[in-house]
Amino acid sequence: MTLSDAQGVMEKKRMKDRTKAKVKAALLDSFFVFYSILVVDRVIWDRFILQLRETHFSWAETGLFALISLFVGVVWSLTGTSLSDRLFGLAKPTKTAKLTFEIFGWFLFNITFIAGWIITKISIVDLFSDEGVAAAQRIFAALFSPRMAIFDEALFAIIETIYIALVATLISIPITLVVSFLSARNLMNDNKFTLLIYAFFRLISNFVRSIEPLIWAIIFSVWIGIGPYAGMLALLIHTIASNAKLYSEAIESIEEGPIEAISATGANKLQVIWYAVIPQIILPFLSFTIYRWDINVRMATIIGLVGGGGIGTMLIQYQGLAQWHEVGLIVIMIALVVWIMDYISTKIRQAIY
Amino acid sequence: MTLLRVNQVHKIYPSGTHALKGVSFEVEKGEFLVIIGLSGSGKSTLLRCINRLHEPTSGNIQFNGRDITHVKGKELRQLKRQIGMVFQQFNLIKRRSVLVNVLTGALGRMGTFQSLTENFPQKLVDEAMEALKTVGIEEKAHIRADALSGGQQQRVAIARSLMQHPDLLLADEPVASLDPATSNSVMQYFEKINKKFGTTVICNLHFLSLVRKYATRVIALKAGEIIYEGLPEDIDDDWFKTIYGEEAEEVEIR
Repeated sequence: MTLSDAQGVMEKKRMKDRTKAKVKAALLDSFFVFYSILVVDRVIWDRFILQLRETHFSWAETGLFALISLFVGVVWSLTGTSLSDRLFGLAKPTKTAKLTFEIFGWFLFNITFIAGWIITKISIVDLFSDEGVAAAQRIFAALFSPRMAIFDEALFAIIETIYIALVATLISIPITLVVSFLSARNLMNDNKFTLLIYAFFRLISNFVRSIEPLIWAIIFSVWIGIGPYAGMLALLIHTIASNAKLYSEAIESIEEGPIEAISATGANKLQVIWYAVIPQIILPFLSFTIYRWDINVRMATIIGLVGGGGIGTMLIQYQGLAQWHEVGLIVIMIALVVWIMDYISTKIRQAIY
Repeated sequence: MTLLRVNQVHKIYPSGTHALKGVSFEVEKGEFLVIIGLSGSGKSTLLRCINRLHEPTSGNIQFNGRDITHVKGKELRQLKRQIGMVFQQFNLIKRRSVLVNVLTGALGRMGTFQSLTENFPQKLVDEAMEALKTVGIEEKAHIRADALSGGQQQRVAIARSLMQHPDLLLADEPVASLDPATSNSVMQYFEKINKKFGTTVICNLHFLSLVRKYATRVIALKAGEIIYEGLPEDIDDDWFKTIYGEEAEEVEIR
């Protein structure tokens, strides 16, 4: 590549980036307009002002809204005074642009909050109705007089929970290590092939992470049957996905200097990772992993609710039978264990740093 | 004998910065060449193009008579082994001992498995101790690298590059984060290596007093172009103002 070629490529890239930003701004503006129309029409007008119980829905009407929004959004963004123009740094430095940004931004925030209030059906009256308060009193009274008869059973169940979390965390470590190195951009930007691997692992772990452990537990309890093994697998797969993200971010934020220095000695990729990357990330890795064990104990109790074994399974059984005194004991034991785990993991993490 | 020949090298970063604009010069074996210039004039980029931490956009570089402008893979690692580099921020592995840091200079000579198990042969360890002796801190061998002072860390970095038995030693502002007294002592080690082993040194520096004391030849860069090439004694006030701008005033460091 000659020099003038290189400069030409740079110039083209700048033009292309600006065009891309313009398209993005127009699309985002259309979305904002579409969102405003839908919220104002469906939530604020239909459900709040007209007090309709059931709202009608038709694709034709929604499509019409979308078309109108697209038109308004594109035109608005082309004037250089819209919200997205400002977000993408394309806005003209005029008073109108500044004013539009403030007014429309404030408008979006307010309709969102109002719609949220309407949709959540917030009602102070329900919270303090006589009936409700009486029911609450019954449950709290039962919870605070736990039945000790099931203590042994609950103890074994909670130990099972702790071990489910521990095993999931331990098994996750080597797998997470490999995945995180493969999904750290600064280690995988050598060529197109490595970048493809990077993108693949990022995609997979984003997908796995976006599905809650609770859902994974349901999937695995169908797959291999209800019990601690299903719960462990659910925690394991989610732990790998979330820690791989944290680990790879830690790898991406390490100092470049030692990497440069070690590769300047003629070391190969593995040697660079061993000597320049690992010493810098070992402490954050340990810290994340211990914290994750703590999280996993809490999650393991929840996962038990859908058949992941341990104390959670026991809790859901007694709750189903409305035996609130037994539930009270279990809740207190869970709270105690979670509190102890939290304390221990904080202490260990403080000792490491 | 010519060790290094840089010919019309341009470097344009992906961000669009045109860091080097057709730089050409030659370096003879055994020289102590100093490159001066303002921050951002392209000094660091130039060094990184020579040991191929960066790839030049156009032009070519010959090292030991071989074109190394676009070498890749194993050949590139072979090249890096022959060129030592010392950095402004020392770039040591902070949590490891001084000895391990020095031994990393020999990674290019070791097998991958052997180096990942950290099974260093006694011969290399002896060599590393010898390198530490050369820079006068052999008694610190088993201390963690981040427990040392700045000057000591830079000496460890020099010892690390000595493990490569380099034909050429690059130093990117090696004393810019050190105090004046330490700067001088670190520079003396570069001089020692240059004189004792005959290693060619290319060093980026800021202080003219250090340049006059150690350099056998000087190149000045401004905005990615060479504007001065000659003996350190010949840089007078006018040249100084040309290189560093009208506002600049020379600061003494002894």
